[in-house]
Formats: sequence, structure tokens, C-alpha cells
Amino acid sequence: MLSFTPYENPTYFGILAIALLPIVIGLLCKKRFHWYETIISIFFLVLTFGGPKLTQGYALIAYLIYEVVLVWLYTSYRKHKNQTSIFVGAVILAIIPLVIVKLTPAIQNGQQSLIGFLGISYLTFKAVQTIMESRDGVLKAFNPWFFLQFLVFFPTISSGPIDRYRRFKKDYDHVPDTDKYLQLLQKGVHNIFMGFVYKYMLAYLFGTLLLPKLQQQALSAHGLSWSLVGVMYVYSMYLFFDFAGYSLFAVGTSYFMGIETPINFNAPFKSHNIKEFWNRWHMTLSFWFRDYIYMRLVFFFMKHKVFKSPKTTANITYIINMTIMGFWHGVTWYYVTYGILHGIALVVNDWWLRYKKKHQKQIPHNKFTEIFAVFVTFNFVCFTFLLFSGFLNTMLLAK
Amino acid sequence: MAKKLFQIFGPILFAAILLVVLLFSPFKLSHITAKTERKAATALSPNVLKGQVIKEAALNHQNFVPFFGSSEFSRFDFAHPSVLAAKYQRKYTPFLMGNPGTQSLTHYFQMQLITKQLENRKAVFVISPQWFVKKGTRKDAFSFYYSPLQATTWLLNRNGHTKQDRYAAQRLLEMPAGNANHTIKLALKRVANGQSITSHQRNTLTFKQRLLQHEDQLFSSLKMKNNQRKIAQAESELPQKYQLSHLDQLAIKQGKKQTSNNRFEIDNRFYQKRLQKKEKRFKNFEKNWSYVQSPEFSDFELVLNQFARTHTNVMFVIPPVNQKWSDYTGLSPKMMRQFDQKIRYQLQSQGFTNICDLSDKGNVPYFMQDTIHLGWRGWLAVDQKLDPFLTTKQSTPTYHIKNQFYTKSWQDQVHVNK
Amino acid sequence: MDTKTTVLNVLNDLTGTDVSGDLDGNLFDSGLLDSMGTVQLLLQLQSELGVDVPVSEFERSEWDTPNKIIARVEAMQN
Repeated sequence: MLSFTPYENPTYFGILAIALLPIVIGLLCKKRFHWYETIISIFFLVLTFGGPKLTQGYALIAYLIYEVVLVWLYTSYRKHKNQTSIFVGAVILAIIPLVIVKLTPAIQNGQQSLIGFLGISYLTFKAVQTIMESRDGVLKAFNPWFFLQFLVFFPTISSGPIDRYRRFKKDYDHVPDTDKYLQLLQKGVHNIFMGFVYKYMLAYLFGTLLLPKLQQQALSAHGLSWSLVGVMYVYSMYLFFDFAGYSLFAVGTSYFMGIETPINFNAPFKSHNIKEFWNRWHMTLSFWFRDYIYMRLVFFFMKHKVFKSPKTTANITYIINMTIMGFWHGVTWYYVTYGILHGIALVVNDWWLRYKKKHQKQIPHNKFTEIFAVFVTFNFVCFTFLLFSGFLNTMLLAK
Repeated sequence: MAKKLFQIFGPILFAAILLVVLLFSPFKLSHITAKTERKAATALSPNVLKGQVIKEAALNHQNFVPFFGSSEFSRFDFAHPSVLAAKYQRKYTPFLMGNPGTQSLTHYFQMQLITKQLENRKAVFVISPQWFVKKGTRKDAFSFYYSPLQATTWLLNRNGHTKQDRYAAQRLLEMPAGNANHTIKLALKRVANGQSITSHQRNTLTFKQRLLQHEDQLFSSLKMKNNQRKIAQAESELPQKYQLSHLDQLAIKQGKKQTSNNRFEIDNRFYQKRLQKKEKRFKNFEKNWSYVQSPEFSDFELVLNQFARTHTNVMFVIPPVNQKWSDYTGLSPKMMRQFDQKIRYQLQSQGFTNICDLSDKGNVPYFMQDTIHLGWRGWLAVDQKLDPFLTTKQSTPTYHIKNQFYTKSWQDQVHVNK
Repeated sequence: MDTKTTVLNVLNDLTGTDVSGDLDGNLFDSGLLDSMGTVQLLLQLQSELGVDVPVSEFERSEWDTPNKIIARVEAMQN
């Protein structure tokens, strides 16, 4: 039985090309074969979750049934009534499977939960946002069958980017005109080949060739060493090129299907400050957190006047928001610390920007200060990635 | 629209065709220079071991002698065979194949890529007693030096249904590496059951072999370590003329100097890095260790079987362990004697009679460089046997392989009847 | 007071800058508005003009200039 992790090897891309061919021909002839798209989705789900990973496959099926029914029930309820407690209950129910999956390794000595599968968090994001938009009344026509298609859209199922229900629906129901579609094809090809360079050349160079050696050296040096500094930068590069490469594959594949999945990375390492960084790094995740956690919390705090000043509200919400993101990565001290550090950095960044605005005359602003800002941001980010990698934990345990 | 489509997909199609032609064409895609061969002979790089093209090119020249072994090769002191051969311009140059963790099974499969070059040829094989542990070869180490090219070539060259084939196939199936590829796995299962591979499998594997060979030709010389400076350094320590007594004095002098920080005559850096901090923990640590019962004995038989097939005349080296250290760790001398008897029996009873058995030299000062690796005087002792063996005409040995060595009962047998 | 003036007053208060000079300038790119400012804007619009904009309705690309904001608010009032 063939089994793949998405985009892992030439065979996968070969199968992908053949599977996409009818869709491409169809769209060029101005037709969308939804039934064929469904078959292909199922086919790729079987490739990803079948064979040796069948337990994950069962977990996925159970999860999908659960979430579709839950969101369906909530949206039907929302047509007549709008009680806050029901809404909160629905959101909690929607994230419970994810919470269990994330908590299990922390409680059971690193053992993985049985109900987990590759990509569960990305599906949870999609489910939760659908509930929230329904609550806000902007999502009125809910179709469970379409919602299922939205959840299991195979190019993005394992690691995003995270699309939005209404945005996805617009593309899904629509056949792009020929010029537009040709443009998408061109961008799709470009993305996928760029992805090859990122994932199979650069991420390989950093992650497979350089990283293990440096880690070995850093481990045998015990404590601080230049090798550890090397690990920090090399891991950061690996993390970026691996994930950005994957995202390029997912976006490129979506384009072939006439779906404009939002991009995930936009040159993050040239950010001048940490806020800009989060507008360029893992963008769909960071925007999801911004729209569905940060803004809602701020809205709630301001409306109920929980904190006196807007500044305090913003700062506290930054920390809460990023800490939740840390927990989402996994319940370990280093993921959570990573989140908290980024929360603090956002607070400091806001303070600095206000300070700078007030003292515009005294504080110079030129090419050099800009380069310095990029340098500081980059190094801070790399340091937090070192934490994120869990390597410091490995070093502590090795002692 | 057609024009635009061609602009988008034309380059990809063109590149794909080019790639397919490149990877599946019957042509050789690289030329191995004499310089690469010389570098490879002492590079000890895993990709040389895994691959074919470099080994093949080098061993096509008669002056290269294949040296099979493991971690001892990486210690280039002045009496190392590669150093002595270079300094005294001997007629042979060792082609070193051995890294930490390469054991009989690894060598058996990597040899499959140079069977033609092994025909009627002399070779050297360094046996490490430490290979012969209860669990046999480590699965991760095996995977590290295994390449699908080895298995593919091996499978395509099977013509009979010998015990050797069945045993080798079954061993490879016990390794995760042997199960990684679907076709290889199914073909191995057939061979392990005493069947020939199907014609469909043969076609797929032929195709695959060509692809893997091209990959090897294109990439395996790209990342190769360069140990030539180390060798030149060691050469410079040697006197112009080879004189044993003189070299022995030098060995004692160097040994003394480089093992000054401990009472076990272990290389200073090795001791400091790996033992000093946890020395206490090693006290009597190896008391119950045994090298007498192990699947390695049957894996080793595969190697012998291969040598018999290719009529390779092999000098086997059995190094001792550093006795000062093994007394401390409690490694049983009785068990070491049993191991020696058992391995010698397996060799001699099948006609492998060129043995450089140093197993009783563990107490000779500066014989070992550290705990288990040959050092200054150890290598000199090897040279006394090796040089004449490689430079003078040897009578052709006759081998008679016995299948009993593939059995579990041989693997577990402790005493050998003389 | 008409909607336009009210919105501009709210924006001027929030950003601490007079935005009426550049009604098509991108408020997010220039750093005048951020997520926090957005929420404050929505709350102000609610209290001063009675338009109830849920957070989900807020698609950045549709609210990034003073003119667009005025247009959205006017659309929602009708």
C-alpha cells in the first residue's frame, strides 16, 4: 500500500500532476468538476492516512463527522437564537479534540494521543472560525457538504495555509476566466519550483547537512558554545525554508485547482520589528490569531471596560494571545516560553514605537537604523526559534 | 492560449525529458580521476562505501588493495598501513573501507558492487571482536552504510538458490533499511523463501539500478573527506629508511608521549574526551560481556562465502584489546580466548589460512592506541605480516564453504572441538 | 453632523493625525491603524453612529483607507 507524507518525494508530485490534469483541462474549458475534485481529495486522503497510518485515518474520519455535525448544529441554532453560553459551549466542544491531542504527550510521557492525526490543528482553526463567523451573523448559508470539502481540501490539509470559509467558497463556486486562470497556472508552477528550491535544496542543506553536525558539537561542548550559536541560525534557516517550501507547494497546488489559497510567508527575515515579522511569518496562522483571538479579546475587554487604558488592554491581550499560540504548538516549557517571549516583544515594540513617535526629533531614522532594526529583529527571532526547536531542552536533559 | 500554456509548461516538460534521459541513459555520467581515487582510498567517507563508481574505478587498478574493517582505519598514526605504503613507496596502496559501525553484513552488501574487482585478488580484512555481540550488527549503523544500490545489484546477480542467498536476504529483511523500498522488499522475500525473483521484479530492479548508478556517478564524489594532510603529517614523522628496530623505538617514544595522562596507555585525547569523567563507572563494567555468541558469526560467513566465490586471497587481522584497560573493566580473558578459537576455527576449517592473529598481544606496551584500536606498535606488527603477503607471490588458496556456519547452533556455540 | 465628518473625527482621534488630507492613504501600511486601533474604531462607530460592525465583517482590505471606511459605514447605515 502506497503511503505518503504530502509533497515528500518525486513520486508524490508525479501522482499529483496526473491527478490535477483533468482539473486543469476542465478549468481551461470553463468547467469545474466538483465530483472529480471530491474523488481526488478522497484519493489523496487515503494516500496520506491509509496503509500504515490507518489509525490516523480512523481518527480523521471520526473527527470530521464530529466537527461537521457540531458546526451544523450551531449554525442551525444561530438562525433562531444567539445566546452567548451556547456559542462558548460550541467553541469549547470544537477545540476539545485538539486540546486532548496537545495535552496527551505532556501527561503521558510523550505518548501520542490515539485521536490525533497529521493536521488536526489546522482543521480545528477552520471549524472554530466558521462557528465565530456564524455567531457574528456574517455567515448565513451554511452547507455541511461544502464545509466538509473546505475542511479536507487536500493541498492544505496537513499544515495549512489556513483559508477562510467565505473566501474559499467564492473560489470554489466560481470558474476563473481564462486569462486569470493562466496567470494562476503560471504562479502555481513558479510556487512549486520555488518550493523545490526551498525545501529540497536549502532546507536540506541547513537541516540535513549542517544541523546534525552542529547539534552534535553543541551537545559535546556542554553549555554555551559557538556551535550552539550555529545551531540557532542554522535551525532558523531550516525552519523557514522547510515550512515556507511546504507552503509554496500547498499554495501552488491550490492555484492549479483555481483556488487562491492565501500565502503564508512574505520575506519574514527582512522585518523591521516584531509586529511586522508576524505580518510576514506564518501569516495565515498569525492572522487567524489576530482576527479570532486578539481582536475579539480586545473587543470584549474594551466593551466591558475591563482595563482602564487602551494601552493596557492591548498589552495584556498581546501576552494572552501569544501564550495561547505557544500552548497551541505543544504543551512543553519551551513552546510556551516561546509564545510568552513573543508576547512581551510585541508589548516592548508598541512601547518603543510610541516613544519614537513622541521623540521624533531626537531619534534618528535613516538607512543604518533601519538595517540595525532588521538585525535586532532577526536575531531576536532566531533566538526564540532556538528555544522553539527544543534543542535547549535536549541539552538540559543530556547533562 | 496554446502559446501561453506552452510558455508555462514547455520548460518543465523540456527539463523533465532532459532529466529522464540523463538518469536512465545507459551512459556513464562521470569520470573518476586518479586524484579522486587517491583521495577516496583514505577518505573513509560513507558515500564511497555506499556507492559503486569510485570503488570500482580505483580497484580496477591493481595497485589498490581493498582493506575491509571498521573504526581502526581512521587513526592515521605513522605506522598506519596507508602511511607506511605511501612513505616507502610500496607497490600497493590500501583502499580503506571501514567506519565506526561497519560490520560483516555491511561489508557483504557493499562488496556486491565490486565483485568483479575482487576476482583473483588479494585483500585485507580486519575483524573486530567487538562486532560479535549478542544482538549482532546495530540496525541504525547498518542503515547508515546501506544503499539500495547494494541490494538491487545483489538481487540482480542471484542465480542460484544457495543457503548464502537465503540467509543474506533474510538478514536484510530483519533490517529496517531492507524494508524501505517496496520492490526490494518483495524480491528479498522471494529469495529468502528460496524462489527466484519474478521477471517483473527483475525489470523494475534493472531500471532502478540504472537510476541509482547514475545518482552515484553524479553525486558520490561530491562530498568526500580529505585525509591526505593527516597522512602527509604522519609520513613526515617517519625516517627515510625502513628499519624495524628504529621504527619500534619511535613507536615506543610516541606511545609514551601520547598516553601520558593515564595509567592505561590510552591516547591522551581519547582518554580525556571519553573516559576520564566516567572512569569509575567502567570498573568491572564489562565483566559479563561476551563476544562468543552472536549472529555476527553467520554474517561473517557471508563475507567468507563471497571471498570464496571471487577467489579472493585474504589476510585476516585479529586485533587484541588493550589489556590494561580490559583488566580494569573486567572483560574476561577466557571469553576472549574462546572468541579467538571460534573465529579461527571458522576461518581455518574452510581454508582461510592467512591470519594475522594478534589476540595475545594486548599486554605489549603501546600496541594499542586506545581501548580497542590498534596503535603504534600494533600497526607495525600488522605490517610484518601484511607487507610480505601483499608484495610477494602467494599460492592460490582453495576454499570449501560449509553451510553449518549459517546455523543458529553455530552462532550460539561456545566451545570449538579441535 | 454627517457620517463622513463623524468618521473622520473618530479617525483623527484614534490616530492622533489629521487624515482628512489623504483620504485614500492606506492606514495600515502607514502604521496609523493596527488591530487595537481597529477594535477601537469599531466600538466608536457603534457608540457614535449606531452601526454594529462585527469583527468578522472586518476584512482589512475593505477598510484600509478613510474613503473605504466612510463608504462601508454609509452602506451599513442604509
